[in-house]
Amino acid sequence: MRINFLNRTRSSDSSRLPLIYGAGSLLVLLILWTLSTSVLGWIDPMTLPSPAEVVARFGNLIVEPFSGSTLAGHVGASLYRWALGVGAAVLLGVPVGILFAWLPGFRAVFNPIFEVLRYIPPFAWVPIAILWFGASTATQAMVVFIAAFPACVINAQLGVQQVDPILVRAARVLGAGQGAMLRRVVVPVAAPAIFTGLRIAISNGWMALVGAELVVGKVGLGFLISQGQNNDSVSTIFVGIIAIGSLGVIIDTLLQRSETVLLPWRKPRAQRDG
Amino acid sequence: MQNQQSTPKLELRNITKWFGPKDTGVCAVDNCSLAVQKGEFICVVGPSGCGKSTLMTVGAGLEQPTEGEILVDGKPAGPPGPQRSVVFQKFALFPSETVAQNIKFGLQMCGVDAKEQERRLVEQLKIMKLEQFRDAYPSELSGGMQQRVAIARSLVMQPEILLMDEPFGALDAQTRTILQEEVQRLHREHHYTVLFITHSVEEAVYLGDRVIVMSRRPGRIKKEISLPRDVVWKRGDIEVAAEHPDFIAARREIWALVREEIIAQ
Amino acid sequence: MTSNKVAFVGAGATLLWVAIWAWLTREGGPVSELFFPSPGDVLDRLIMFWSRPYIGSTLMGHILSSLSIVLAGWVLGGIVGVPLGIAMAWWTRLKWIVFPIFQLIRPVPPLAWIPLTLLWIGIGDAARIFVVFIAALVPWVMNSMHAVYSVDKLLIDAGRTLGANDRKILTRIVIRSAIPTLLAGARIALGNAWTTLVAAELLAATAGLGYVALNASRMLDTDVLVVAMLLIGLLGVMLSALMGLAARMFAPWVKNDRNGG
Repeated sequence: MRINFLNRTRSSDSSRLPLIYGAGSLLVLLILWTLSTSVLGWIDPMTLPSPAEVVARFGNLIVEPFSGSTLAGHVGASLYRWALGVGAAVLLGVPVGILFAWLPGFRAVFNPIFEVLRYIPPFAWVPIAILWFGASTATQAMVVFIAAFPACVINAQLGVQQVDPILVRAARVLGAGQGAMLRRVVVPVAAPAIFTGLRIAISNGWMALVGAELVVGKVGLGFLISQGQNNDSVSTIFVGIIAIGSLGVIIDTLLQRSETVLLPWRKPRAQRDG
Repeated sequence: MQNQQSTPKLELRNITKWFGPKDTGVCAVDNCSLAVQKGEFICVVGPSGCGKSTLMTVGAGLEQPTEGEILVDGKPAGPPGPQRSVVFQKFALFPSETVAQNIKFGLQMCGVDAKEQERRLVEQLKIMKLEQFRDAYPSELSGGMQQRVAIARSLVMQPEILLMDEPFGALDAQTRTILQEEVQRLHREHHYTVLFITHSVEEAVYLGDRVIVMSRRPGRIKKEISLPRDVVWKRGDIEVAAEHPDFIAARREIWALVREEIIAQ
Repeated sequence: MTSNKVAFVGAGATLLWVAIWAWLTREGGPVSELFFPSPGDVLDRLIMFWSRPYIGSTLMGHILSSLSIVLAGWVLGGIVGVPLGIAMAWWTRLKWIVFPIFQLIRPVPPLAWIPLTLLWIGIGDAARIFVVFIAALVPWVMNSMHAVYSVDKLLIDAGRTLGANDRKILTRIVIRSAIPTLLAGARIALGNAWTTLVAAELLAATAGLGYVALNASRMLDTDVLVVAMLLIGLLGVMLSALMGLAARMFAPWVKNDRNGG
């Protein structure tokens, strides 16, 4: 059996085979890691700790404070800053994006500022945020905000621009004013695009937060891994990286789930596509 | 018979519409005049791209004519509104609202109270045979059902004029036939004033009291054909009507006019 | 509004914003120089920076340092990522094996690798190149894979009936029609690389624009800081524009679609 791109039978795609291969590959990776560290001792534990050490460190970080907080404390601090920054970006960015699409004049005036925000990478704002706010929550939140804001604006704008003009006409004929048109037609129809923007914003914000925490701060997951580096504790870094990655996945999954709840009229179409 | 001297319900007077700057842009409609009497069903046919949809858009007030004026009951018509209701080819249902919410939309915009909204909704659902789809979203309905909802959404406003822009153009042939008969029935029972745009000659002959044939772009009115209104065959189903000698004669005459325009392109 | 009018209003608005900036930061104005510099200060500093070194190098030196590391990481990412992505699309089994590992690494921000890299390789060019490489690798691989998937199966059938063997189909049909998507991936990879480099320079560098920005912040040189930020933005735009140009050169048959990202 040849399983490659030119093989057009799709039946193998729906089988369990990919799962078996995937699990096998991860298992082999784990075994190699275990063998080379704890069993055969090829690699110095200072360079790469064994899986068991990482798990032990994980348990340890949960109960014992490291660099001022337990793991929960670091996670909480990171989530709090992230929520502040992303929340502000969504509350400000989505209306701005809608207005950009709805009022070309508004867009023409504010676009120059937006372009500057958009093209300077979020991390380049870290130094100026430090200068303005010092090592405070505001610094981190500002960097998250700057990372999340453009995606909110761009996708809201795109969503509104893609609303079929015929719907706007239909609403006008039925006597809708600008307000009702936006509230009942334009925004709901643009909602899926806005949601996509939200997801991008949230993941951009999460990435930027880690970067900001690496540079400045006294608590948070980014700070935790930089402390791991300062204390030559690779296992701490590993725990931090795993926590950062899995929280990112959890947040995105929750958001994806909530989309079907919040936008119920999309369900049949999504099912048809799938 | 209609009293031709009475003030028309809707009148388009010397309408010219340019897209883009005048004389360098595209002239979609050139000096068209058209009067729809109360209770009359007017069909406009013409080759595709002849500006018949533009005529409707201008008539609805959705776009301003470059020249000419729109009169309702002899007075200049204002901005678009529920007294001139429009049914679009692509249904234009609001995807985030259920059938009931879509139909109530216009009533809510006019500030009709909730009880009255509900009463008219129920009535309209019954007329359009949509009772069981009350809480469905448009994406869960077939094209024919969606267009029923769109028609219900227009009719519930009790519009003085109903403008329909190729309403069945996006439907399959079988669904189209059913809805044509439905519209025929509605008009017979409720005497709506209708301006109906179509590219189907059969549809125009079957539905229209008068059929207006437009020329190719720039759209001008080429000919107007009156069809007897209270003939027996119009009361029946379309496939029966289509066998009547008068129907065949009218269809031939109109098709010959349209064909000239298509070939001349 | 016509596009001309929009451009006109946009230019006017830009002038207006610069004027507001100048007014706020004027001598004795409401915004202190320690908080944000005036446009004049920024311009003066930019000119001065051109010839006089700041923390070790002149402006050109820092720019070249940043650019060389970005390019090294990006090119390395491409060398590994493109063949890997194409192979993953071509041999489904390989995808089944490699993809889960990717899914594991993908949600981790590339920056999170910095502390590990610093421990493993130490502070130096290699550490930054490695982090940039990781940031660029994911878009390189994913887009190369999707580039192959997006090839019209009809073209492959056509090639087969014309007698092409599998290798010919890969080289003549698949890779060639995958070029536009590959280039799109290259552009995203470069963007990611640039963004990540700036962060890496904040943490582990002895030169580069991010390094300049962080030091300027510590020394309260707001004018240098803003110069560095603007240059980072400008260079990012230039890199992206260059990639757009490359796309038009290498895949002239594709209409350049504007991406909303």
